[in-house]
Amino acid sequence: MEAVITGLFVGILFGFILQRGRFCMNSAFRDAILLQDNVLLKTVFAALLVELVGFALMDATGAIAINPKPFWWGANLLGSFVFGIGMVLAGGCASGITYRTGEGMVGAMTAVLGLATAGYFTAAGFLKPFKANLQAATTIPGADGKALTLHGILGMDYTTLAMIIAAIAVAVWYFVARSNKDESEADPGWGWLNTGILVGLVGILAFPLSAAAGRNYPLGITAGWINIVNVIFKGDAFNWLGLMIIGIVVGGLVAALISKEFKFRMPKPLTLVQTFAGGLLMGFGAVTSGGCNIGHLLSGVPQLSLGSILAGISIVLGAWAASYVMFVLPQKKDQ
Amino acid sequence: MSEVTPTKTLDVCGKICPYPDMNTMTTLKKMEKGEILEVLLDYPLSVERIPRNLKKQGHKLIEVEKLDGPNHKMLIEAHGLK
Repeated sequence: MEAVITGLFVGILFGFILQRGRFCMNSAFRDAILLQDNVLLKTVFAALLVELVGFALMDATGAIAINPKPFWWGANLLGSFVFGIGMVLAGGCASGITYRTGEGMVGAMTAVLGLATAGYFTAAGFLKPFKANLQAATTIPGADGKALTLHGILGMDYTTLAMIIAAIAVAVWYFVARSNKDESEADPGWGWLNTGILVGLVGILAFPLSAAAGRNYPLGITAGWINIVNVIFKGDAFNWLGLMIIGIVVGGLVAALISKEFKFRMPKPLTLVQTFAGGLLMGFGAVTSGGCNIGHLLSGVPQLSLGSILAGISIVLGAWAASYVMFVLPQKKDQ
Repeated sequence: MSEVTPTKTLDVCGKICPYPDMNTMTTLKKMEKGEILEVLLDYPLSVERIPRNLKKQGHKLIEVEKLDGPNHKMLIEAHGLK
């Protein structure tokens, strides 16, 4: 019982960092094509790199045993593409709308409501058969019968491959950064690298603590919201992830209060409908694919799960497709 | 704070991501060179993101003034792409 309480502390830390660091994967992917702004994208890469090294070291020392998600290509492709469209409509990724709920953004609250509702009905309600059939019909297991992973395909040890990828990434990064120096302008916030490192460290901290509570996986969002639905409507107990979600909202609230950024921000009624609809697509997509941007991208990609890598690519493509239709096309018509 | 008189005021308070940025950029695009746009916004991410993206379009940030809480007032000189 006591083991689940660490979820609350990890969540508060995570929410605080998300709010102060302005971390949002929706912005990261969308801004790259919409505003040619890569700052948040670099933050995501930094976080993934930190986690890759952290998970690899912890797995090698026995502090954790990695638990990559399965590869069900049909569910990964469809679910995550729908999730990507949903997060552009919702104005934030799964973690983004959760911490902004604590910031007082009403549009984020309605998005969360949509995410939890559709997430619940896809996990345990009328959409469950569709999700289960799609996952079962398109599953490709690894040679050992476990989840298909990059290291499994290459017949390599996880830690060795993780370290090789990390070393290549750092080397590429070093040369790219050297060739365009003008980007190192003063950043009024925490700075993309600091935020990325901190987000990565929270992921590393989350893994063993969540495992100690019986859930052998690092961070996630959607399943936590579904737990909260079950706590409210079915009298279930809070699990580690459900408490972590409460923590993110509290952490976002505390960070916003300290920096005097808390404010109830009420958009137009039509925007609330849009973010709720976006949340519905996100909830359906995340549960179908087996994870959201945090479960798949932030937590699954560093474990080199092929399902998570495919889901990550699909989320980005969905976000780009929606951004193009919603923002780029109207601008072109305008000219 | 500033002596500059804005030509136009744009209020994007309460708007969700990325509308504060998008509305600011499209409004600036329709303005003449040297005209001043005053933007009122309350979304922390955009307060940091708009200044770093203005320069790419050639617009000039004159000042960012912090008001109560997350509310900010931004003064921008349009580049005049029209």
